[in-house]
Amino acid sequence: MADYIESISEAVLKYDVELVKKLVPEAVESGVDPILIMNEGLSNAIIEIGDKFGREEIFLVELMIAAEACMGGVDIVKKIILEKKVDAVKPKGVIVIGTVEGDIHNIGKDIVKTLLEAAGFEVHDIGVDQRAQNFVKKAIEVNAKIVASSALLTTTSPNQKAIEVELKEAGIRDKVKTIIGGAATNADWSREIGSDYYASTATDGVKIIKKYFEDVGK
Amino acid sequence: MKAKLEVLSKDELDTIYQTALKILEKIGVSIEDEEIIKLLEKNGCKAGSNKIVYFPEKVIDRCLKSTPNRKGETTLCGRDPLKDVVMGDDQKYPYVISHVLMNYFEGLTDTYRTITKEDIRKFVTISDYLDTIDGIWMCTLMPDFKEMYTYCEYELAVRSTTKPVCVSSFEPSAIPPVYDLAAALAGGEEELKKRPLTVAFCEISPLTWNKYGCAMLKATARWGIQPVITVETPMGDTGPATFAGNIAQKIAELLSGLVIVQLLKEGLPVFFVVPLEVFDMRTAQICLASRGDYVWACAVGQLEDYLGIPIISPISPDSKLLDMQEAYELSFSLIPRILGGNKATVIHGLDQTHAINNELLLLMDEMMISVRRMLEGIDVNEETLAFNVLEEVAGKIENDRRSGHFLNQRHTLNWYVREHRPRRDAVIDKYRREKWIENGSKSFVERAHEKILEILKNHKPEPLSKEIESTINAIHKKYNIPDL
Ligand code: B12
Repeated sequence: MADYIESISEAVLKYDVELVKKLVPEAVESGVDPILIMNEGLSNAIIEIGDKFGREEIFLVELMIAAEACMGGVDIVKKIILEKKVDAVKPKGVIVIGTVEGDIHNIGKDIVKTLLEAAGFEVHDIGVDQRAQNFVKKAIEVNAKIVASSALLTTTSPNQKAIEVELKEAGIRDKVKTIIGGAATNADWSREIGSDYYASTATDGVKIIKKYFEDVGK
Repeated sequence: MKAKLEVLSKDELDTIYQTALKILEKIGVSIEDEEIIKLLEKNGCKAGSNKIVYFPEKVIDRCLKSTPNRKGETTLCGRDPLKDVVMGDDQKYPYVISHVLMNYFEGLTDTYRTITKEDIRKFVTISDYLDTIDGIWMCTLMPDFKEMYTYCEYELAVRSTTKPVCVSSFEPSAIPPVYDLAAALAGGEEELKKRPLTVAFCEISPLTWNKYGCAMLKATARWGIQPVITVETPMGDTGPATFAGNIAQKIAELLSGLVIVQLLKEGLPVFFVVPLEVFDMRTAQICLASRGDYVWACAVGQLEDYLGIPIISPISPDSKLLDMQEAYELSFSLIPRILGGNKATVIHGLDQTHAINNELLLLMDEMMISVRRMLEGIDVNEETLAFNVLEEVAGKIENDRRSGHFLNQRHTLNWYVREHRPRRDAVIDKYRREKWIENGSKSFVERAHEKILEILKNHKPEPLSKEIESTINAIHKKYNIPDL
């Protein structure tokens, strides 16, 4: 059993998408607890890879492919859980992410999204060029605890403030935390608009979000 | 322009181009505008599902043929026609355009701040003064300018220079006032048709024209503006990490824009802006100055010749300071472009396209004088071979020793300046150490700063005429723009 968990971890660490997809069902067949596969095999591996990227020991492409391998495994586990009606694993936390209105830059936002997903969060990506109301609507719909927005233009960063305003209007500002990022933002801007967190890189953002969910216990 | 670096063979260029055509025909371009899709269909393209349009070669050929500046001249018009940038086979040297960005870096104090209108005026004034700078490109998106930033940037720039001013925009609503001012500067709408305004906007890789890009394509056609199709396919991110494939993808994306422009308004001149970015996998940043850029920069000149349309490829160091990295990235980006025969380049300042600095303009000025000279190469003839002079110098013998030199030769007088382009106003330091200390032990940045102050004190750009000023007043009233 431990062997399977280890091999799945190793397959992720070796960026072997196909091997992960092969090993996960095999492991379940031979009686390994799917939740263990998710938390120990897949999740731990991707956390290790994420840290390696954070320490600049590997390149982003390695991290992205490992994330893909990991998510491939997660999808299979989820399906099995559904089929076997095992108690569903709760995601580590629910997050809404998007790029603000008027702004079509998606590269940074997509990296943040992938890393969050790989770290086991449930991420709802509303896409680019999204009005503040859409962030709020989605947050309500999926009961998100974090609203993350990206802005790369000096002309569109004010729309991150609009998200703060809309969250208040909808009466849910105290139920969610906001985090902002993207080239047009910085810590001063975050303070000015009253967002809860700011991160200058995707890895820092994921760290902050992870810490938040750990502190509040989901 | 004599020196020329060639890194791709004719066969290789053909193969890349054929791949670009295959991309357009088989993979297609996603287009978020029904009208444009219909127009393309009407003209022989195939529209598939998901708004993807497939471009057959014959449509591309037809549109290349109707592009009037292809294999001819492409002009960026200045307030003063004598200052026009005319890109084509006859140009004497590669053009350099300085780019205004949203932050200013103070070289003396290493401080970084949001740009002000005064910074823009000064930067443009210095660019107006320097002979090696041929035009100005504006894209600050200063929050002060609200929804009219394209207009505000254009007006601020044309006030401080008679050289060509180009703007980047993704706001069609800001185009009408820019058009009005450009028409006034050209001397009326009819004149403006002959001396069009130049506006740049982006396609989105991979292979997408989104609603902003489509709106700009239509706006340029509607107003008869010379469009500049900008394509960015950062290597390893939205384009392949391999050079050949990345170039092919870029060409496909550029051609898709060119085709749409020609179908919207046949005969409109068009050219390209293509940053050569690499996605830096260590930091997850998109960098314009990178080893990939230097490799690729060698090929830009060949590519634009092959397509027959200029490709301006911006240079943009990633360094955050005016330090060794800045100088390295600037020179390595510049030299291969110039030696590769690139017709024009836009130079951003520092910090990954985020900041500008005045002193840097003087470094570019010095570099440009050197690279222009490099391009002229080495003339070999009887005069330059200097056999007779050497014979004379070597023939001077005192105390059984050769005592002659070239310092007192008319040949040196005739050729030193022609061959070496020395400058009396050089900012580059060439003094002996003691003399340099006596002069205050100043760094390049300090010396350049003094020169900048001098230029700003003495150079007064040609003011706008009273008529233009009253047109500007009317524009401000009509579009509710505060005085700048
Ligand atoms: C690639 C690019 C484009 C591509 C975008 C392609 C795409 N699919 O996204 C294209 C060519 C389409 C484009 C278009 C435009 N662009 Co652009 N673009 C860039 C460029 C070169 C890189 C941006 C990027 O993706 N970087 C890489 C990513 C990974 O970095 P990042 O976004 O900062 O993300 C990192 C962190 O910030 C963080 N992060 C990001 N988001 C979030 C969110 C959260 C919650 C967290 C925690 C973290 C986080 O994580 C990431 C990884 O660490 C920059 C210049 C530069 N070198 O930065 C200009 C730049 C941003 N663009 C600029 C401009 C002006 C434009 C245009 C207006 C140009 C035009 N005239 O059309 C249009 C805008 C259209 C629109 N409506 O938005 C300007 C902005 C100037 C300003 N004053 O704000 C820049 C700075 C270039 C310049 N100086 O001219 N652009």
